Amino acid sequence: MNGSRLAPLLALGTLFAVLPLVLYASGSGYAFRVATTIGVFAILTVSANFITGTTGLLSLGHAAFYGIGAYAAALSATGLGWPFWVTLPFAGLVTAAIGILLALPTMRLVSIHFAVATLGLGEIIHVTLLNWVGFTRGPMGIPAIPGIAIPGLFKATDVGNYFAVAVVGAIAVFAIHRLTHSYYGNALRALREDDQCAETMGLDIVRLKIEVFAVSCFFAGVAGALWSHTTGYISPNDFRFNESILILAMIVVGGLGSIPGAIVGATLLLALPEVLRPIGDYRMIVVGSVMFLSILFLPRGIFGEVSALDLVRRQFGAAWRRDSRVGWR
Amino acid sequence: MFDAFFFQQLVNGVAVGLVYALMAIGFTLIFGVLNVVNFAHGEVYMIGAYAGLLAITAFAPPLFVVVLIALAAGALTGFGLERIAFRPFRRFRDEASLKSKAMREATLLSSLAVSIIAREAVELVMGSNMQPIPQEYLLLQPVEIGALTFARGQFLIFGVSVVSLLALQWLLNRTRIGLSIRAVANNPIGAMYVGIDTNRTIIATFVIGSMLGAVAGILVGLYQGTIFPGMGFTPGVKAFVAMVMGGLNSIPGAVACAMILGVSEALATNFIAQGWADLIAYSFLVITLVFFPTGLFGAARERI
Amino acid sequence: MKLLKTLLLGTILAIAAQAPAYAQSKAVVIGYQLPLTGDNSQYGTMFKNSAQMALEEFNKSGKLPGAGVEIKFEDSKSDAKEGVNIAKKFSDDPSLVGVIGDFNSTVSMAAGQVYAQQKVPQLSQTASHPDFLKISDWQFRNITTMAIESPFIAKWLAENKLKRYAVVAIQNDWGQTAVQNFTDAVKSRGNEITATEFFNPGNRDFRSILTKISRTNPEAIVLFMFYEESASLLQQRVQMNVKTPVYSASPSYEPKLLQLAGPAANGVLLPTTFVADNPDPKVKAFVDNYRKRYNADPSMFAAQAYDATNIMLNAVVAAGPGPTRQKVRDALAATRNFQGVTGETTFDPKTREPSKTLTRMEIVDGKFRVLH
Repeated sequence: MNGSRLAPLLALGTLFAVLPLVLYASGSGYAFRVATTIGVFAILTVSANFITGTTGLLSLGHAAFYGIGAYAAALSATGLGWPFWVTLPFAGLVTAAIGILLALPTMRLVSIHFAVATLGLGEIIHVTLLNWVGFTRGPMGIPAIPGIAIPGLFKATDVGNYFAVAVVGAIAVFAIHRLTHSYYGNALRALREDDQCAETMGLDIVRLKIEVFAVSCFFAGVAGALWSHTTGYISPNDFRFNESILILAMIVVGGLGSIPGAIVGATLLLALPEVLRPIGDYRMIVVGSVMFLSILFLPRGIFGEVSALDLVRRQFGAAWRRDSRVGWR
Repeated sequence: MFDAFFFQQLVNGVAVGLVYALMAIGFTLIFGVLNVVNFAHGEVYMIGAYAGLLAITAFAPPLFVVVLIALAAGALTGFGLERIAFRPFRRFRDEASLKSKAMREATLLSSLAVSIIAREAVELVMGSNMQPIPQEYLLLQPVEIGALTFARGQFLIFGVSVVSLLALQWLLNRTRIGLSIRAVANNPIGAMYVGIDTNRTIIATFVIGSMLGAVAGILVGLYQGTIFPGMGFTPGVKAFVAMVMGGLNSIPGAVACAMILGVSEALATNFIAQGWADLIAYSFLVITLVFFPTGLFGAARERI
Repeated sequence: MKLLKTLLLGTILAIAAQAPAYAQSKAVVIGYQLPLTGDNSQYGTMFKNSAQMALEEFNKSGKLPGAGVEIKFEDSKSDAKEGVNIAKKFSDDPSLVGVIGDFNSTVSMAAGQVYAQQKVPQLSQTASHPDFLKISDWQFRNITTMAIESPFIAKWLAENKLKRYAVVAIQNDWGQTAVQNFTDAVKSRGNEITATEFFNPGNRDFRSILTKISRTNPEAIVLFMFYEESASLLQQRVQMNVKTPVYSASPSYEPKLLQLAGPAANGVLLPTTFVADNPDPKVKAFVDNYRKRYNADPSMFAAQAYDATNIMLNAVVAAGPGPTRQKVRDALAATRNFQGVTGETTFDPKTREPSKTLTRMEIVDGKFRVLH
């Protein structure tokens, strides 16, 4: 087995065999819960990374799409009685559709304007979820969402939740990995580096942006659906601007444009507050500081593909260096 | 027919708009020069308010001195902010770095991180609940003119906004530092070549912008009667919306749009619930970005 | 650079080692989840203060011979994510027999799903969401829901010969239930609500709302919001020269409201379950102790937490030696006529809803005064 095949197999092995055994042996529901939450946010971060890191479109409203997915799943499960294996893809599709619809007007925008537009969209979605009481029950939230269970076959348990998240997570990571490590991914990276050039080269950037947005929203919606089913109760409070910032911090810490980075970032920023529980009051300051220090000292993040600073210098030095590998890993 | 309530809503809206305007001025100044969004501006506003409160509780100076102290606090904060969050990202002076999108993203994220840290720190030290401002300072007394009711605070805010705007225009157009600010805003590389000290100019911009933000903070604190660590977020976002609507580089444009925003929000509550009226700002933002990419009053920009 | 990376990765691995290492205790443990940081941290601090006071008095009184009781506080930051994590953590601890918390209904309900599954009795001092007790038999609360308080206010208004009211409410689950119950009660008395305005949490500018409702010419303004927003609204009401009388709900019984609003608060009428000036020796002792220890007057929320802690402690005692979660739950369900500082509390045997008595108060000269 050569090196490049070993890593993913090891990862899969850990995810599906080693980790659950360790967690089960510890008998700690808390550990399972943290692992499940990390899993959900890993999917979310990978999807956000796809649009922000790989394609370079800074999205400040990602939590809102996560929220749409969560609500879609919750409403269809409690109102229509659909089982989880229907609500998950349904939530993804609904979120992708709404995402495209809402973002269509903003597809022409670049960089800071796009970021601000997504900020606006995120807030609009949150206010709608909060105030459209007739449809979403507003601040009352949606209780008693059925868990990951099939009546008659198996009930909702910690292990079940974990495996559901692990399976969906593996699929999501695989899909996004295939998308980014391909010619399609190259096109996206070209879009990130310089969209004017990319357009000159013949890439239809508006179509690319729409597709990327759709995929990213799909997985965000699926993550939201998973959250609904594994938590049992959701309310608009869970999907505010703060969550978007958290996701952004995860991407930045882990590294823009890299999938293992996104997962590591999610793990770090969710597990760190748990580890730091004893120091209580200072937690959020530590999280903010971690984000700040990462940007400053680890501009590529932990596994970053792109460094804000190196990128520029590389571009100019590349022409003179023979062995330079400009771009991705 | 003179609909007193309608005009009262207008008055409310103008007052709110002026608050946004004070914030927007500082915001636009910084954006114009550095081309980066300063996410921490809302926190500067908050720090100005807290500095004023501390001064009042410590040695109860007259109102004028409180404002001066807020100005000083704002200047210090602006200086510190520039040092911590923005300077490290200007390590490279070459043209590509200065124009790089990735660089701007990095500064945006770092100012965001600093704003989180600043807010949490204030929360830790002062508590996250609202702090009252001692009664003697509050500008609450109603002033009735005809069927409309104004508060003294509204006049003060109006006065300070006008004075700030005029002072800023004078500064930008009649002083050396204003000249260098305009030069750097126009073309940072060219300004460097011509011998302008860009570092000093950028520091000056931050200081001035933050002073304005801090004064806005203490005035709103006095007007609303209470302050709390999270008070900077909403005005920050609204100021940002005003700036974008006004056409990123135009200060009078930003002020005008801030007023429009405030008045629209107030009038909208006449017809829809307050909860939905919050959407107004964000909807305006998205609409402006989509249909008026160069802003309502802005000069043309090469690309958005 | 490499060092930094390895440090960060090392932290991640250290986390994995943390999971089962939650200290197990010999004493009887009660968990308390509350917002010590974040949005509602001022309430969390009050709860912690009250709970610690109650715990000390309990341990000193020796009601539970042999073992002491310990309370483990965990910060939920008013975030459902954290709430669920804490719920799992508490459920894993075998020496933990009951949980008090959380502050807001959304977090309580999210955590409640876990407690229902893991069969841990949960008592919330403030969650008033109507669906909270419906989650399972393991949920309890000792605060009156608005189903009792709103009709009380409606009756009071009617007795004062006021017929047209304008309502301003916060857009959260408490605000929604308060308004719904109030509207039903008002309609059943044949009176009129001229306007209902919800505002998003975090809003501090009420001038537009005040102008809008003034247009409809109400005889009274009814506020369903917490004390910080009330303070802003009351001050702005003075600024705008609005003279309509104001009625509020029990969360306004908060000494800080007087501080924040100053003279603007005078004349506000509100119901409450907790009266600080109550000559009852229990209440007096509580208020005096709280004042001495924490240099502040206790509010209704602080009193609720104090009673909740005591109710839980009583249940632990009633569960006998070697309390288990099931026994504590049954003891909680059997609580009758518990004499606390917020009055008498009884849990309905079927629905587990608490029943309490409300008192009318008015703010006069910067102080709360009971109306008789």
